[in-house]
Amino acid sequence: MEVAVKEKVEKILRGELRYTSANLAFNMLISKMQKRLRAGSVDMDTCMKEMDEFLAKYPIVAKVDLANIAAL
Amino acid sequence: MLVKLDEAVRLINEGKILHIAADDSLLRQLPKGKWIGGTTPYFISEEGGLMTKERLFVNEIDYAEEIRVESYGKYNIFQIVEECYDNGLTMLIMPYGSLVATKYAKEAPEVEELLMHPTVGWISGFDLTTNGTASVYDGTRGVSYTDKAVAMYIKLPEGKSAMINMINIFSDDKTDPVIRFYDNDLSVTKCTVNGQEVTFSEYIKKTGIDTKMPLVADYNGSYINTSIKDVADGEVSFYAPVFRNIEYRFAVNVDDYAARFREKINEAGARNPVLSCNCILNYQFGNLSGQKIPPYTGPVTFGEVAYQLINQTLVYCEILEEEPK
Repeated sequence: MEVAVKEKVEKILRGELRYTSANLAFNMLISKMQKRLRAGSVDMDTCMKEMDEFLAKYPIVAKVDLANIAAL
Repeated sequence: MLVKLDEAVRLINEGKILHIAADDSLLRQLPKGKWIGGTTPYFISEEGGLMTKERLFVNEIDYAEEIRVESYGKYNIFQIVEECYDNGLTMLIMPYGSLVATKYAKEAPEVEELLMHPTVGWISGFDLTTNGTASVYDGTRGVSYTDKAVAMYIKLPEGKSAMINMINIFSDDKTDPVIRFYDNDLSVTKCTVNGQEVTFSEYIKKTGIDTKMPLVADYNGSYINTSIKDVADGEVSFYAPVFRNIEYRFAVNVDDYAARFREKINEAGARNPVLSCNCILNYQFGNLSGQKIPPYTGPVTFGEVAYQLINQTLVYCEILEEEPK
């Protein structure tokens, strides 16, 4: 993930930036990570690792989301 | 597509890989083969919504590289995240009212790795005018269950991915009161409304809320519904569980259910869903009998699985293909 996109994803997870994907699983994952961060049960690095794994697993779908997030 | 029994038998005997939904009286007549199934007599077909015990709804799974079928009880249902194909799709059917469905409903959202494995499916049901029993079928072994889930693991060829999505006509009004629950549960007595503890059934009665409208939770812009099953004796029961630490609001009232449904379907723009299932509550409240909603044909179900159990929603799955380089 490019640095600029990574920063935006971190902002999304902190709730400072709003992005809704057309991919239900991605929205569920963002929501889950936001909830865990708010509860303090995980740190940002752990969340970003999970986001990376998800996006790497589904490159066809991730390409659209990463382009949309970059454009935010 | 809806087919007669002899056509379904022919497809099975030809070795086709199939997902089948039908009344139990038909499913029990099918031969062994590469299929899984669940009971329901309600469908959205190419001809429109209908109830029939004369025909079966069949999806051919012609995009699979290979498949495996397994069944699970409440103690091992979450093995699905370990036993699925790395690049695949898991199709899951669970009987309504079974312990395995309850376990899945309550715990799936917290299962690690679940979102990494596309999982789509439904809760099997029965004719609502009878005291029927919901069943699922593992056609590969020729067995049916009322207490187990059946999963078909579908391996997808390289360059293809499964994408699961939903059509939900409901959303919330962020100025409405926030409702929170104390636990992950299928029935509750107490909750908090804007931080104040209330008896939920009394709150519903006092505010005159139309319980055809589900509770909705905003999962980063994807709204997940929890529909109310009953309000009685100080207790409110649900078709899918509510979860602690999730903010709920009652859905904004929908005046013309069917029109709103069509509007959302047009917005979704799915081209070729390989599986879709629509909730029995949409069928009933939206008067979908006789209504066509192409391209979303499939069983009408007692709950939908889009990773976790949801309801009052249309869930569908598409197979996406990587663009040639």
